Amino acid sequence: MSGVIGQAVSRIDGPAKVTGSAHYSGEIALPGLAYAEIVGARVASGRITSIDTAQAEDAEGVAGILTHLNMPKVNNVPLLPSLIGGPAPGETFFPMQDDVVHYAGQPVAIVVADGLEQAQHAATLVQISYAETPSITTIDQGRADAYEPEKIFGGLMPAQTRRGNVEDGFAAADLLIDAPFRFAANHHNPIEALTTTAVWDGDQLTLYDSCQGIKAVQLTVAALLGLSPSKIRVLTRYVGGAFGAKAMVWPHVTLTALAAQYVRRPVRLALPRGQMFTSCGHREEQEQHIELGATSDGKLTAIRHHKISITSPFDDWAEPAFGVASQLYACPGFEGVHRLVRGNTMTPTFTRGPGEAVGVFTLECAMDELASELGIDPIELRLRNITDVDPNTGHPWSSYGLRECFERGARRFGWAGRNPQPRSERHGNWLIGTGMATAGYPIAFFMHTQRARAHLYADGTAIVQTATQEFGTGTSTVMTQVAADGLGIGLRDVRFEFGDTDLPNAGSPVGSNGAMMVSAAVHNAATAVRDQLITLAVSDSQSPLHGADPAGVVVAGGRMTLAGDANTGETYSSLMQRHIMSDAEAIGSWDPPPLDTPHGLLTFGAQFARVAVDADLGIIRVRHMVGAFAPGRVLNPKTARSQLMGGMLWGMSQALLEGTHMDTRHGRWANASLGDYLVPVNADAPDVDVELIEVEDHVTGPLGVKGVGEIGQVGAAAAIANAVYHATGYRVRELPIAVEHLLAHLPSGPASAAAGAQPDLT
Amino acid sequence: MIPAPFSYRRAGSVAEALDLCTEYGEDAKFLAGGHSLLPLMKLRLAMPEVLIDLGPVRELSYVREEDGHIAIGALTRHHDLEHSEMLARVLPLLAHAAGQVGDPQVRHRGTIGGSLAHSDPASDLPATVLALDATLVARGPAGSREIAAADFFQGLFETELEPDELLTEIRVPVPAAGAAGWSFQKFTKRAIDWAIVGVAVQGSAVALVNMAGTPVRAAGVEAALAGGATPAEAAAHAAEGTSPADDINASPAYREHLARVLVERALLEAQSV
Ligand SMILES: Cc1cc2nc3c(=O)[nH]c(=O)nc-3n(C[C@H](O)[C@H](O)[C@H](O)COP(=O)(O)OP(=O)(O)OC[C@H]3O[C@@H](n4cnc5c(N)ncnc54)[C@H](O)[C@@H]3O)c2cc1C
Repeated sequence: MSGVIGQAVSRIDGPAKVTGSAHYSGEIALPGLAYAEIVGARVASGRITSIDTAQAEDAEGVAGILTHLNMPKVNNVPLLPSLIGGPAPGETFFPMQDDVVHYAGQPVAIVVADGLEQAQHAATLVQISYAETPSITTIDQGRADAYEPEKIFGGLMPAQTRRGNVEDGFAAADLLIDAPFRFAANHHNPIEALTTTAVWDGDQLTLYDSCQGIKAVQLTVAALLGLSPSKIRVLTRYVGGAFGAKAMVWPHVTLTALAAQYVRRPVRLALPRGQMFTSCGHREEQEQHIELGATSDGKLTAIRHHKISITSPFDDWAEPAFGVASQLYACPGFEGVHRLVRGNTMTPTFTRGPGEAVGVFTLECAMDELASELGIDPIELRLRNITDVDPNTGHPWSSYGLRECFERGARRFGWAGRNPQPRSERHGNWLIGTGMATAGYPIAFFMHTQRARAHLYADGTAIVQTATQEFGTGTSTVMTQVAADGLGIGLRDVRFEFGDTDLPNAGSPVGSNGAMMVSAAVHNAATAVRDQLITLAVSDSQSPLHGADPAGVVVAGGRMTLAGDANTGETYSSLMQRHIMSDAEAIGSWDPPPLDTPHGLLTFGAQFARVAVDADLGIIRVRHMVGAFAPGRVLNPKTARSQLMGGMLWGMSQALLEGTHMDTRHGRWANASLGDYLVPVNADAPDVDVELIEVEDHVTGPLGVKGVGEIGQVGAAAAIANAVYHATGYRVRELPIAVEHLLAHLPSGPASAAAGAQPDLT
Repeated sequence: MIPAPFSYRRAGSVAEALDLCTEYGEDAKFLAGGHSLLPLMKLRLAMPEVLIDLGPVRELSYVREEDGHIAIGALTRHHDLEHSEMLARVLPLLAHAAGQVGDPQVRHRGTIGGSLAHSDPASDLPATVLALDATLVARGPAGSREIAAADFFQGLFETELEPDELLTEIRVPVPAAGAAGWSFQKFTKRAIDWAIVGVAVQGSAVALVNMAGTPVRAAGVEAALAGGATPAEAAAHAAEGTSPADDINASPAYREHLARVLVERALLEAQSV
């Protein structure tokens, strides 16, 4: 190890991004490029009775229009999450195959023109009549017909989780907690909209796509169009945020390829912001109901955790709510059940900490309630219930660190000495409260073999390649570090190449698995080249290392030396020149452990928040957040910290601001814009502190990386909601927290009391 | 979205702006900072055929102390109001309110004249000039006239201005010695957003942001204060005569509650200045 792993290296893509020389998928210059605009269905349910494109076709610059009347038929492709490494359509439905409308915004026509403005204008000229039928767009509207699916999450997970006997557990309990929660739908809203540029050259298709998985794009488009994957190349250099919206391959990608084929020109489609709410999935509207049973000394005896949510007409999709929630505590009885309502929305999808961000919120709010009912400190209650083995399997964790997270997080936050009494601190109008929650995030080993290629030149510089991509998380920076470390050369001597399906295979970096799986392949490729050259040196009678034990040779700065004897050795360059080698190359591969590996697999953390609630206005301001996380090996503390801070702020956003609301009269999202769908801005960010706790892990790949990212969000909203309770005595039962509901439960402050008017705001 | 086609003319002076306006008549619109007009054009809620850009008319960007009042050129940007030393001294309410508009980018482009002429009740400066009893100066083909702020705002996006009139100056009387207390309260869920409700107080004048179709004076509060009420007693009247909107940000009942609480806070703060 050269020490370059673990260094706080600044992002290598930073200068290109801040100077504008980084070209995103919508900025690739191509001769003859045409622009596409999708026309979305105006109604949420019904049939198209007529569609008239004559006026639009006559508009200036229009190159062609596709509707269900002339759209080629595509193959059916099953929905499977992109982490598997196969085709991954976001929904099994593909638009414009017939006249049926399943959800508002569903693509019903695609207009291609010479210029973007011309395409946008012509799209407004397509005349469509609908025979509208009643729609179901909320849980309430479809509750009567709710059903229990067999599997959820694209068939990847069972809809139910059971352990032990919950009834026995509740019978043995001294205390029960019963808490229902409601959650608004969420949309990802990365700042770079989903964008596809499609170019055909004969039967070869090149796609420049803003996505989270180029391989997934290649395989999905190939499957839908019945093409060989070898005919499709996907290139993605820079991605301006994703958050799960780009994990699956949504219909617009293939529609763009079909449009380009139709007009026989390169075509670009960049989704306008409004269409980002109806084109790339969302976190579904959901309700969760949790019951806890516990003994009077705070030991959990039973957890019953039910969820109901709304999905599309075609897919049984629900975020899995009880992965982590069933694993954090050693509770003998657990029952988790997902129920679904079919509605007129598109298929929901992975959204920032899918499942866990909401499931753990529910559990951790209920745990806080249990702690206050029992008069036990919230951290102490958790310490009484945590477990060194995965309670679902009995297998020991691959690595743990949760106790250290509580301890160091609490110290950094200043938790000790907290007065547990709600409403015990007030400064002027502000009610102050603190709260905490446990965090966990799964490590998923669904991916296939990961590969990377390392190519070392005789001058000691290297190119390391893999078909992964950078969507803003720092992948290209940390992989450069891993490659430099494995080769034993300087950071500046490595060029890391990615974002091209022609490179060695890597899976979609989703579910916070990118650093773990890609680093394993890159490390193995780099060390394979290093080992080749060490082997050559020790067998070369002209080398100072001749006869040495290869395991006793180390490399740093491109020079191989005996461990402990820096004077005996030579550089890669001298060895290679002597052998008239211009380069050396190796493919490194890594196979994840089997799915039934005898280890519990989670990343752990602890979240703390201090909030201030305006007693008279109900508004909540987060003053301070601390997160302590144990993500295995930390490849780069700077990028890891940034990821985790971002996750924690998403947690704040989840708690206070984010919600997409359905206008049931029209079956359309009511706030489909960044003006109305609120996410925090920098000025809203409180002090955010991140503690990194390194734990050694021998299961999750050669470097012991577990992954950062989404775990930053898990538990953050719960810590805030628990702090709101501590500040006000009000138990949060919905996200985002409705200020008006909170206000109705606040002590009347001086202003409103004097005003003599306590409004009825419920 | 992309605006409907329009042609573009630059005016170098007030006179030229008025000439261009006469030339194009009702098809033309003045363009100041563009931060309200361009969003409307992109949504195609406004489709002027000609834009007369006032950007080069530097003669209308100033803050001057004149005889008993402060004169502010209509094209003075929010940023310049926010950082004017003279305003900080004589009219701190206006400087502060200007500093609460949007974010720094918005404040570097948007102008006070554009903000007033746009007449959005959710804007910060219309209620502020209303609380300050300002007089607005408009110039048209027939010359200049003065319009009291109380008469200027007619409704959402509607003002007393004729289509061929240019707002040139805002005149604000220097607050009397006994009315120097001021406060500006802006309630948002997220930083940099528009006010869900806001309150501007100068002395015992109280104006409300986003509580009706136009900025409004809180007449009930002012009457109670004149009758000797305490801030708390007076604030109880804050929602009287208002008609707040029901939207995704707040219900009318919550807005009325916000108005009462914010008015009380504003009055207390103004007293302590
Ligand atoms: C992201 C964003 C956030 C914002 N947040 C806020 C906020 O928090 N609070 C707030 O108050 N405002 C906010 N604004 C609006 C901002 O203050 C605008 O700058 C202002 O409302 C309009 O000023 P303007 O100079 O840009 O006018 P323009 O957009 O150029 O013009 C607006 C209207 O006034 C007319 N007009 C302009 N000047 C004159 C004149 N001299 N005589 C006659 N007519 C004229 C134009 O023809 C047009 O109809 C925000 C705007 C944006 C884009």
